[in-house]
Amino acid sequence: MSGVQTSAPGSPVARRGRLTYLGGRIAEYVVVLLVALTLNFLLPRALPGGPLKLFGSPEALARLTAEERAQIATEYGFGDPIWVQFLDYLKSVVTLDLGTSLSDGREVTAAIWDALPWTLLLVGTSIVFTTLIGIALGVIGGLRRREGKGAFTLIGAIVVDSIPQFWLAMLLIVWFGVKWQIAPTFGATGPDGVTITGLAQHLAMPVATLTITGIGYIFMYTRSSMLNVLTSEPVQHAHARGIPRGRLVRRHVLRPALLPVHTLIMLDIGFLAAGAIVVETVFAYPGLGRLTFGAIAARDYPLMQGTFLVLTLMVVLMNLLADLTYPLLDPRARTGASER
Amino acid sequence: MTLSVQDVTVRYGGRLAVDHVHLEVGDGEVVAVVGESGCGKTSLARALGGLLPENAEVSGRGVLRSDRHPDLDLGALRDWRGVRGRRIGIVPQGAMSGLSPIHRVEAQLREMLTLHGGSSEPAQLLERVGLTARELHSFPHQLSGGQRQRVAIALTLAGEPDLLIADEPTTGLDAVVQGKVLALIASLGISTLIVSHDLTGLLPYADRIAVMYAGRLAEVVPVDALHRGRHHPYTAGLLAATPSTDRAVTWASIPGSAPPLDALPEGCRFAPRCPIAVEECRETAPRLRLVGNSEVACHRAEVAGDASYPAVPRATSECGKPVLTMTGLRHTYRSRSRTTTALDGVDVEVGRGEILGLVGESGSGKSTLARIALGLIRPTEGTVRLGDYEMTGARGRRLRELQRRTGFVHQDPYDSLHPAMKVSALVAEPLVIAKVPRNERADRVHAALASAGLPEEVLTRTPGQLSGGQRQRVSIARALVNDPELLVADEASSMLDVSTRGGIATTLRKVAIERGLAVVFVTHDMGEAIQSCDRIVVLRHGRVVDAGACSRISSSPEHEYTAQLLAASHH
Amino acid sequence: MSTATSAPEVVARPRRRELLGRQGRVGAVLLALIVGTAAYGFFFLPDGAGKKRVGSPYEEPSAAHPLGTDDLGRDLLDQLVVGAGTSLTLAFIVAAVTTVLAAVIGGLAGIGPRWLSATIMRGIDVMLVLPELVLFILAATFLGQGFGIRAVILALILWPVPARVLRAASLTAWSRAHVEAARAMGAGQAWLLFRHASYLLGPLLVPVFVRTAMRVIIYDATLSFLGLGDPTAPSWGTTLYWVQVNGVFLSDAWLWWAGPPGLAITLTVVALALVGTSVEDRLNPNLQESR
Repeated sequence: MSGVQTSAPGSPVARRGRLTYLGGRIAEYVVVLLVALTLNFLLPRALPGGPLKLFGSPEALARLTAEERAQIATEYGFGDPIWVQFLDYLKSVVTLDLGTSLSDGREVTAAIWDALPWTLLLVGTSIVFTTLIGIALGVIGGLRRREGKGAFTLIGAIVVDSIPQFWLAMLLIVWFGVKWQIAPTFGATGPDGVTITGLAQHLAMPVATLTITGIGYIFMYTRSSMLNVLTSEPVQHAHARGIPRGRLVRRHVLRPALLPVHTLIMLDIGFLAAGAIVVETVFAYPGLGRLTFGAIAARDYPLMQGTFLVLTLMVVLMNLLADLTYPLLDPRARTGASER
Repeated sequence: MTLSVQDVTVRYGGRLAVDHVHLEVGDGEVVAVVGESGCGKTSLARALGGLLPENAEVSGRGVLRSDRHPDLDLGALRDWRGVRGRRIGIVPQGAMSGLSPIHRVEAQLREMLTLHGGSSEPAQLLERVGLTARELHSFPHQLSGGQRQRVAIALTLAGEPDLLIADEPTTGLDAVVQGKVLALIASLGISTLIVSHDLTGLLPYADRIAVMYAGRLAEVVPVDALHRGRHHPYTAGLLAATPSTDRAVTWASIPGSAPPLDALPEGCRFAPRCPIAVEECRETAPRLRLVGNSEVACHRAEVAGDASYPAVPRATSECGKPVLTMTGLRHTYRSRSRTTTALDGVDVEVGRGEILGLVGESGSGKSTLARIALGLIRPTEGTVRLGDYEMTGARGRRLRELQRRTGFVHQDPYDSLHPAMKVSALVAEPLVIAKVPRNERADRVHAALASAGLPEEVLTRTPGQLSGGQRQRVSIARALVNDPELLVADEASSMLDVSTRGGIATTLRKVAIERGLAVVFVTHDMGEAIQSCDRIVVLRHGRVVDAGACSRISSSPEHEYTAQLLAASHH
Repeated sequence: MSTATSAPEVVARPRRRELLGRQGRVGAVLLALIVGTAAYGFFFLPDGAGKKRVGSPYEEPSAAHPLGTDDLGRDLLDQLVVGAGTSLTLAFIVAAVTTVLAAVIGGLAGIGPRWLSATIMRGIDVMLVLPELVLFILAATFLGQGFGIRAVILALILWPVPARVLRAASLTAWSRAHVEAARAMGAGQAWLLFRHASYLLGPLLVPVFVRTAMRVIIYDATLSFLGLGDPTAPSWGTTLYWVQVNGVFLSDAWLWWAGPPGLAITLTVVALALVGTSVEDRLNPNLQESR
């Protein structure tokens, strides 16, 4: 990605250091994060009704007298200039003091802290399955492109990729939950608290839903990356040098083919927490997604701001992580071209 | 005898790419298979390595002999394990972009050594190809093109093969490096088959030359015999069509272009382009026969010395007043991680009727300079004047009007013509853009087509139906149609076959004389510049290192770099 | 594998460009059938079909109601057919708007001045950090569920990804030799765009359109399922919302009540995906070579 203009050996190229480059990337992320924070800050102020709605339903607000409104406004600083408010908001973000939920009076930070492990458990487990199965099938699909099976798997992947999550979740509930009663249909733990089996049982259907609907994408991406690498010059030339097929695939195809997949999966992890909203809602799983959806439905602004903050942070962090880990896998990103 | 190829034929569907070829490579001998694109040389090399695509049918025998292994018939081979890498070492086309990007050089060499049971050490292999142990720990992207090509050769040496097949080992390398790589291959002492389009480039390094034309062998000749007398008119044509750096040697071109594989002519396939062909040539295909100590497939081999090809003309008059004046040009490209200075204080002037050669290797800034002249790039510093007009300050409509007074012939004949437009529309495009009245267009298109040396029939064709040379002529016609004052030809013939290059140069000279055009001719080939230009500017790293009349540059180069380029153009 | 094995003038470019392969044609036929169904519903079903009570609640499939009726005695087949119209109309309108938005913004980012390009790209970066589904839910909750509003929201949220694709493509197109040659002739931007770049970028709009339509159908159904759609207007997602609300999967009724709309969504998205991947495959030169 570094520049359109390639330089010939010996040409007067001033190459800035790798560290400076990384610094630039991180600075970019900080900017993106700041903009996202600003949006988050503006959100309740931009939505219909003005900032006072932070304090309850429209009906409740209507009952407030003018003095009461003015009092709240001074107390919470709505009378201050907007930049003072913004600085206050930034301060609250940094100190993790995100206010209290309007619906149940809990600390927003505490509510998020309770929900986060569940989401991480759910998302983490399904990412592992999705990645393993998706990549394995994608590699096979890429290697067997010409054979009938390859095409069949591709169609399968397209179908799986097209099923709406919530519908699949319903089907699973019908079969495994109601008909055969193998797996519990809601919640994260059984009546006897946190046990390994209980956790696993409650994870089964949500994870299955996320995994099945997630495989198709990773499969197709891996497959097309495999095909690109298989037809690339280094692989064709390695073949011409007499490297047998098995070794060729293991040593010369897999790693370059999985480089872009690595980035894709990292970004995916960032989004899955948000993407788990539907699954967590259908299975009443007490994670971040359900918390977010509940907050929106109840118009609970402090909680909304808090959950949005976490969801965005996760995406930005995974982006950054993807950027930072890529050079570990690809020497071309690690070491610059020589000056010779 | 290491390799003996008998009766090898390769077909793709109904198209015959290699037609009953016989060829031998002696022990330690370097044989070069030479020909232009589509002659079947690459198919032959790939057939010998078992690397043809699935839709190809191969027949014939290829026996590989050696004192260390039993004889092997490549034609009957089904399982290539243990053959490629151990018995045949292959340096594929574009080898320098074919190294594994994620492994260090040492790991790649070691892999080949263990795989093919080689007994050397990676460092020894590098030493054999003229690299040092320092390069062991490099990744390919940290090496220069020449170094990568050497590593690719080292990789094939790991298995100590009996035969080395190198497919176009010099493409993509700068002229100076090309010779070094060929010298290296020739010095290895292994029986070698080199496939190349560059006949003269190989002369110093090959023992025997096999010239192919349209799928058949035209001639197999020892190099020393080639120096003494020429036997096949096509070989003679190829030699004459390679521009010499000596102004005294004329440069010629072979008219026409090679036949497509699905429309091969009866009789001798070269007959339609041959200056000495007779009736017999058009009727019966000549077989390879012994003439002197070479094998020639020509009915007229005895009188082939008479074959003469049209020469590229020289300037007839002095050049007129300046058309393009560029002074104090500096240009830098900036991107996220680096700043590149492409041009650093360059002054260039071209007059009416003059052809200026802009010579340099990749990265010299010559393409940037050409694009600045065309108004495609605004220089960081400096001024460009076209006629009486200042171009550097012009923007928008004003700039576009100035651009209509220049013509541009792009390097790539396959991409520079819109694939869905007919030739008539392609050539007329500048007129449409310049809003020339509709009723004037047809005449000007016809005139431009004639100037570019194209027949009227091509008007109704699309670029896909034309040969590379024809396409480049369409480009020239398009550049001429709006009666420009300046023509910029950016490596206009570099992607064309040798035999047609002179034709393009002839056309450019003709239009420079007839229309009083100023021409900027960008090229990396010193010989071509000396033969076709009036004056030459040599660029290196964005600076002018040498400038002057062609004859002066050719006979007494002022700068050491110019001398190097001249020496690298070796003919 | 660009070798000298065949005369280059023959292989350089296919004369006629076929964008659909066998897979793509299957997808196109499937899509045509679904569009036909939607058109049938629009032209031949009476007004209010699927909204009005026509039988008793919870009827099992019969000749009169092939898919039975829902909890309010509304015909489920009618809902399915009318739902096809709702889904496809929304999908196609949003896809068209998004494609235009993405083409304009991506194109500007590709060929516009550097500052504009940088601004757009940073904007896209920010957009891509925000989770789409959350934005939809938020917008649907606060801005209402009208068809027009929903279409605008979807288009506004879906443009960044295709815009980035089209920016990259327009950068590539702009560096192609025939575009550069035309630029050197003094051609204006409009000429370059319509005469030259359109040939290169046009085919790319097909997968962009198709992929956006796919996402619209899924997101729209998801929102309706979450109860954020118009609960009175028949649509596939809404039908499934009522399935969830009424706990239909506790009885056998899920088979004719929840099955068909979910299947319809899947089939429509599959049809679109088949067309999309087929075109993409054909536009990828790497895959074409080995075909």
